[in-house]
Amino acid sequence: MDFTFYGDDSKGLIKLDPRTKLLIFLTSGILAINAYRIAPIMIFGAALCLVLALCGKWITALKCMALLSLACYTRYMVETSGRGASAVLIIVSSLLSIFLFTFPVIISFLLLAQTTRISHFLSALQAMHLPSALVIPIAVIFRFVPTVQEEWTGIRKAMAFRGIELNMMNAIRHPMRTVEYVLIPLLFSTISVMEELAAAALARGMDAGVKRSSYEVVKLRAADYIVIAVFLCLIWYIFRYGKAGVVS
Amino acid sequence: MSKMDMNEVQDVVKEDGRLKTKDLIFAGAFGAIYLVMMLAIVMGTGSIPILYLLSPLTVGVIGGTIYMLCVLKIHKFGAALILGILFLLISSTSNWLSIATAAAAAVLAELILFLGRYKSRKMYLASFPFFNLNMAAPFALLQVNKQQFIDLSRAYYGEERANALDAMTPGWIWYGLLALAFAGGIIGSIIASRLIKKHFEKAGIV
Repeated sequence: MDFTFYGDDSKGLIKLDPRTKLLIFLTSGILAINAYRIAPIMIFGAALCLVLALCGKWITALKCMALLSLACYTRYMVETSGRGASAVLIIVSSLLSIFLFTFPVIISFLLLAQTTRISHFLSALQAMHLPSALVIPIAVIFRFVPTVQEEWTGIRKAMAFRGIELNMMNAIRHPMRTVEYVLIPLLFSTISVMEELAAAALARGMDAGVKRSSYEVVKLRAADYIVIAVFLCLIWYIFRYGKAGVVS
Repeated sequence: MSKMDMNEVQDVVKEDGRLKTKDLIFAGAFGAIYLVMMLAIVMGTGSIPILYLLSPLTVGVIGGTIYMLCVLKIHKFGAALILGILFLLISSTSNWLSIATAAAAAVLAELILFLGRYKSRKMYLASFPFFNLNMAAPFALLQVNKQQFIDLSRAYYGEERANALDAMTPGWIWYGLLALAFAGGIIGSIIASRLIKKHFEKAGIV
């Protein structure tokens, strides 16, 4: 795991507004429900990777694109070859489907989380005049998912040190104990992170009750409008051609 | 409710003041943990149809502790509501019934906390089964338009899995899922009360 989680778009060719990225994130949710033919998935995935690359994360984007192509190729081969034991086929195709289903959501989440600074994100959400009861939790979610991931790897290591293996067998034999082993340290360590975050927010005067000013300029630029237009076209394309049977 | 006059209601809501930034940060962070946990379970078990349909139960059993810590830590009006709304935004926006179910679950849980005036430990425990009803929300498509649900799984997962799902989901499955979610909530809140007593109260976290 690298530690470039918390947002940086300084190397990017274009700098997108957080609102544009939010739109892309929502679009990918729509894709997940409405597209399951290979072509739309590939096109949409490629578009997402392109945006990710333009925003400065081109290595991640290349890796993701390679994974996506591999998954689509495997799925195509599984569907067309018509050979193989049916049990294996079911497992392989459902694993592939879960991957393809979650791929756009994960990529757009990466785009949002890895290329947006939290302060930028906050000021963009405030510019949308959302109530702070919603803005702060949403911003914290994006800040916190990577933290949960980090803590999780830490817990896995700590468990391995003490000779407790976390695998399917143990989870089935002692479900409650496994949950306790994982959940309790996770909650303890994340709660202390939360306390620190809250202290930081207090120090920045988030509770002051006056309108906050910001160094961040939030403004939709030409690049934003182009990306928005492209993704709106893609939504139309997915609704028109995404489902099986419309064009076979 | 009738005994509680308007002043008292205001007292309960105002007691600790409104939600502060600190509380919102807690809500967001616990929301992140809850959602990661939920997605991990649903994806981990998603490839086996029967476990997929049992996910309201499993998520309730494990999520109870997270929910309970969240509401106990915030201890004010709004905790369950915000957590519920975050859940709704991420997982159940596909049709009107799922939106309504998830929203109703959040409001019900908040209402029960409110009736306990954010003090009663029993009411805290009682609210989780209602909150967990939102795990049935993503399945609401089964009730609204079952054929579409089956078609979706057929296109996504292939013929066998769609047929298996079709055979496993009779007309009343939606009510069954609601009951499952409620049962998962009950088990989850029992486990939560044990774990919290065992670990978090000693550490002075709640």
